[in-house]
Amino acid sequence: MRRTLATFLPLLLLWALLAQVNHLLAPLHLYLFAGGLFVAYAALVLPWRDGLAAVLLAGLLCDADAPVRLGTHLLLFAAAHAVVGNIRDRVPRDETVARVIVALLVNLALFLALSFVLIGRGPAPAAVWPRVFLDLAASQVFIALVAPWFFALQARTLVLARVERDRLA
Amino acid sequence: MPPQRLDQARPFLTLAVVVLAWLLVPVVVQTFTRASFFELQAPLAVAASYARDLKDYWSLRLHTNSELIEAGRDLARLNASYEDSVAQNLSLQAEIGRLEELLRLPTYADYRAEHARVVRRDFSGWWQRLVIRKGANYGLPLGAPVIFSGGVVGRVTEVHAYTAVVELISNPGVRLAAVIEGETQPISFQGGINATFDPPKGVLEFVPLNVFASAAQPRRLVTSGLGGIFPPGLNLGTVTRVEPSLDGLYKNGEVLLDPRLSSLTEVTVLVPLHPE
Repeated sequence: MRRTLATFLPLLLLWALLAQVNHLLAPLHLYLFAGGLFVAYAALVLPWRDGLAAVLLAGLLCDADAPVRLGTHLLLFAAAHAVVGNIRDRVPRDETVARVIVALLVNLALFLALSFVLIGRGPAPAAVWPRVFLDLAASQVFIALVAPWFFALQARTLVLARVERDRLA
Repeated sequence: MPPQRLDQARPFLTLAVVVLAWLLVPVVVQTFTRASFFELQAPLAVAASYARDLKDYWSLRLHTNSELIEAGRDLARLNASYEDSVAQNLSLQAEIGRLEELLRLPTYADYRAEHARVVRRDFSGWWQRLVIRKGANYGLPLGAPVIFSGGVVGRVTEVHAYTAVVELISNPGVRLAAVIEGETQPISFQGGINATFDPPKGVLEFVPLNVFASAAQPRRLVTSGLGGIFPPGLNLGTVTRVEPSLDGLYKNGEVLLDPRLSSLTEVTVLVPLHPE
């Protein structure tokens, strides 16, 4: 329980920071999505059950704030967690670069999945794709820049919460 | 080896359980969960908005006295002009009242204007919306129209304890009846094309064949008053293009919305005084 909460708190902070960045970018019509960051660390590093619980909470956090059917982010994040969890023993998950690459790939998959779900609502879906790809490119750059700091923050939070350090950080 | 296979399949089995459990959760519980998580986030967003206001306040404190005197003089001029407008508005309202009584016309719904600060702007390719710093605590109802000095902003789609969510007219899901200024036939407006670095745009459908507009000769698009949400005559945008639809029965068009929609800091919610 403590480990789940200690993982969820940085995710809440990430959500708040992302909301502020998107608020500032709104006049440029640019939007950052960082779903990959919500999933990557929990799926790669944490024990299975605690990681899944934190990811589900993050999914609910994103769902509550978005005009989508409740459960969209939750189920997408859970699916991403399952896929990454399945391959995590085959990636060098102790290395930051590997974690960042996983976060980027997960973000790409989540972004495209959300786009396919949501883009059909508009009057001209084809006209929206250039905007979506620009948002995706900006999001990937953002994740590449922020991910090392965010993973370190998550590891540090777990240490502060007195969860076994050697195994997780 | 079966145990290893089972271990490998465990993430997907758990995922299947999560999906199944989520599908079986009653709608009431889901709605409660969404509201709870929104209220959990709300203090963060509101605190950030107050911090921005404080930052603006301290940056304003850096202005010199002469700058403040100049600003005060400009404001005095504006106030004089607004006082004149208020007097004109009162006489026009009296005139409308007289005509309505004379012609026995139904009166327009009355509204109370509730000004609210924008806490957060979300302007993605998927959706466009604002979170404002007033909610159920100020009696904002669901569906209330939201306006600013440039015209229509959108409508209230969610009301929370002390915040509310406004769906912008540029949002793909927004559809409303509009009229081109000077015309009488209603046409269908839908938001939805929001390219990066470009002003937001909307789409028009069912435009009568006798209506013409182009970038060189744009026409103003206003609310029709049909549908009961928006009062008539509010500015929506500028029609910059109309062309015949594929079936040739109507025209389709493009509307340029106010570029300030994505940088609003304050909006006005029109709260109906006599809700139906």
